[in-house]
Amino acid sequence: VKLKKKKACLSLFFSSTALHLIAFLMQKMCSVWNKLITELTRLSHTFLHVPQLHWIVVEDAPQPTPLVTDFLAASGLTYTHLYKLTPKDRKLQEGDPSWLKPRGAEQRNEGLHWLREMGAAAKGKEAAALEEAVVYFADDDNTYSLQLFEEMRYTYRVSVWPVGLVGGMKFERPVVEDGKVVRFHTGWRPNRPFPIDMAGFAVSLRLILTNPQARFDGDAQMGFLESSFLQHLVTMDDLEPKADLCTKVLVWHTRTEKPKMKREDALQKQGLGSDPDVEV
Amino acid sequence: MPKRRDILAIVLIVLPWTLLITVWHQSAIAPLLAIRKVCHHLVKEILIIPERLTVHRQRLADDGTETRHETGPATDSKEYCSQDKDIVEVVRTEYVYTRPPPWSDVLPTIHVITPTYSRPVQKAELTRLANTFLHVPNLHWILVEDSQRRTPLVTRLLREMGLNYTHLNVETPRNYKLRGDTRDPRIPRGTMQRNLALRWLRETFNSNSSQTGIVYFADDDNTYSLELFEEMRSTRKVSVWPVAFVGGLRYESPKVNAAGKVYGWKTVFDPHRPFAIDMAGFAINLRLILFKPQAYFKLRGVKGGYQESSLLRELVTLSDLEPKAANCTKILVWHTRTEKPVLVNEGKKGFTDPNVEI
Repeated sequence: VKLKKKKACLSLFFSSTALHLIAFLMQKMCSVWNKLITELTRLSHTFLHVPQLHWIVVEDAPQPTPLVTDFLAASGLTYTHLYKLTPKDRKLQEGDPSWLKPRGAEQRNEGLHWLREMGAAAKGKEAAALEEAVVYFADDDNTYSLQLFEEMRYTYRVSVWPVGLVGGMKFERPVVEDGKVVRFHTGWRPNRPFPIDMAGFAVSLRLILTNPQARFDGDAQMGFLESSFLQHLVTMDDLEPKADLCTKVLVWHTRTEKPKMKREDALQKQGLGSDPDVEV
Repeated sequence: MPKRRDILAIVLIVLPWTLLITVWHQSAIAPLLAIRKVCHHLVKEILIIPERLTVHRQRLADDGTETRHETGPATDSKEYCSQDKDIVEVVRTEYVYTRPPPWSDVLPTIHVITPTYSRPVQKAELTRLANTFLHVPNLHWILVEDSQRRTPLVTRLLREMGLNYTHLNVETPRNYKLRGDTRDPRIPRGTMQRNLALRWLRETFNSNSSQTGIVYFADDDNTYSLELFEEMRSTRKVSVWPVAFVGGLRYESPKVNAAGKVYGWKTVFDPHRPFAIDMAGFAINLRLILFKPQAYFKLRGVKGGYQESSLLRELVTLSDLEPKAANCTKILVWHTRTEKPVLVNEGKKGFTDPNVEI
């Protein structure tokens, strides 16, 4: 009898919560000088520090590109490589401002779809482990501190926290009173159901699996993409505030400039462009 | 038929070793440590557990003192097997977000000099830069602020990161700062800060010492691959490699001949500069820096793009350069730039709580 008890306690010892990160990657219009690899590199350096992280990379492409495939294989991370092409009418064209159409809805939904398939197929211990997992939507040019991942690891439904450099402000955040989120501090359209950036919340996998209808609406108005997903899942009352009751900024909505390639353009026209075999 | 006491003996021997191996493995990376005291006296010898394990969360208060608070429901100490007094499961939560990178006595230290200045994206840039550096063994980060005093933001960040660092500061006088007028060409940002770091190195390291080291100038918004640091470690004098997204090209690169020597520069912007290379495209052996103590970046009268040359021409000639990155055919560093965030909604008076650090 004594032995049995010891064994049962040991299994608790080894449990640790898995984080599933869904990152969608935009395929730039002109792929000659895409900055994809820089974002992937920096992200991988951050993610390598985070235990129990599973990176779900969804390319906006008709098939997996060699660049991303090779990169992920060499990264040392646990990953799943998916792809889903955005339909033409929803795609941003050259010269379109980045806010014109909601970005990444199809890719994030593809990631959710994969998770749901995995959830349906899992049995026994695997299914139990899935119950503990957390899903976070990580855009490729944001900056994440390592502390953020530990904050989100124990999410029961949906946890939230401030996001820096977004919404035209230094930071946006949920306002917490008595341990509950009562409203959102944002400078832009605070009357949205969830005026929160994609980087500002994480969802427990259990909630996603038990709500198969919850997905991102690709036709949603500007700024309503997050709401289109979250309103199926949770009410403001149920949100779990993290990051010291939403007083610390642990993630920043940075954006990397498009590299200036004027000289490259000029050279290309003369047929003297830099060696395309050298992978940038 | 194994006897009961044999089974007990095996368990008592195997269990603590399992615990030991697992705890040592997990303690480096996992935030959650579950420690079981099976046999009080036996485990104590191996694991050196303090008498009372309390659940605590370390939080540095604003004035720098450490305070301990009891945490919420998820991490209470529990007694799962309460019937038996000997078996107590205690969960101790220690928030460890990073671990210091390994340090070896054999590898040359890479002294990375990063000038930085206060702006909204500063903390984000330094955070992700540090996340990269944490993977590099024997890295010493010399962070030089362009400020009158060392700022609390950077001080705190460096302390919490776990990197081996030196924190310096020097303020660029206003008349030297970036000016857009046509009379005075713009003076590249960070010059005084880099020079201060060079001076620090010369004051700290004796030129006679056998300390091996490499000096690299890393701006806080570039992207560095881990391979780059290993390439530069074998620098004897000055090593060079291509840099992506500079000079209006996909990449700029040194020209390397069949003998493996640098003979020119593959750039469009003024390829006839003595060293037509970006700050991120070269590394210098520390010994050379110490050997030529008068070599610094020139402050005044430097044409745009000639900053790197102003230092390198005092140190090496073209033929001394060591090409890295597969004879300068691989890209291992990208000159990325982070967009200035749009903060229109802050308005004149500021909308958000100024006490929250971003």
